Amino acid sequence: MRKLFEMEEKELTPQESMALIQSMIGRSRKRYSDNSFFFLLWGWIVLVASVGHYYLSTFTDFEYPFIGWSMTIVGGVISGVVGARRGKTSQVKNYTDKMYGWLWFSLGMAMFTIVFNGQLINWNTVPFILLLAGVGTAVSGAMMGFRPLQFGGFVFWALAFVAFRQPENYQMLLLAFGIAVGYLVPGYIMKANFRNNGV
Amino acid sequence: MGFNQLDPLLHSQLRLAVMSLLISVEAADFVYIKEQTESTAGNLSVQLDKLSTAGYIEITKQFEGKKPKTTCKVTQKGVDAFDTYVKEIQQYLKP
Repeated sequence: MRKLFEMEEKELTPQESMALIQSMIGRSRKRYSDNSFFFLLWGWIVLVASVGHYYLSTFTDFEYPFIGWSMTIVGGVISGVVGARRGKTSQVKNYTDKMYGWLWFSLGMAMFTIVFNGQLINWNTVPFILLLAGVGTAVSGAMMGFRPLQFGGFVFWALAFVAFRQPENYQMLLLAFGIAVGYLVPGYIMKANFRNNGV
Repeated sequence: MGFNQLDPLLHSQLRLAVMSLLISVEAADFVYIKEQTESTAGNLSVQLDKLSTAGYIEITKQFEGKKPKTTCKVTQKGVDAFDTYVKEIQQYLKP
């Protein structure tokens, strides 16, 4: 390949300067990174935990139907390790990636706070989790220009409306549905996009 | 104002390319800059040093395991100089 800048340093014209600036800025502006790993990881953890919770509390006498949620601790550790490793090895630090990391970290803290204090609100945690997940997916979708995530955000919001009016058991099914539409479907589309055309 | 009064540090192909690249990201690796500007390591090193000496960019050298890792970041002085340069270029391009 021809080395762009190995030619003799010649005087730039204003037009050439402007064209060079535009082309370089265009190169560093990428649409989004492949974050499908995190959506798929959390999508599956929440789907299994919420369906398990519904099943165990409806059809069995098992004392701890919420046992599946302990997987979120493992998920948190995996996310932290993978996220930190990706940040370290990436060759370029984009402002978008930084905002993205902080958005989900903050939402994670908010979700943890709600669940940790769940007893104080009679374990009516799901509607709030749905709302926060909706904020995360809608804003991530807008930052990436990725419509399936933005659509997922609206689904979470609508489900939260319904969930406020349902008992805990049914809330679990709404959460499972929301996570399938809001995390898993966009996650798989994102993964396929990256595999097919690397965008 | 003559065209030759433009900031000589920025009015050079590779240095302008580097600054344009760094202006829109938080930080970038030497290897990334080399790939994106399609330059050679030797030439790029020299130009980065010039930009760093002028205070337009900040260069951090670290080791990642045994591999050296050089990260570059544009400074506020660099952003201001780049802004001024772009405004001046726009003056020339005005019909």
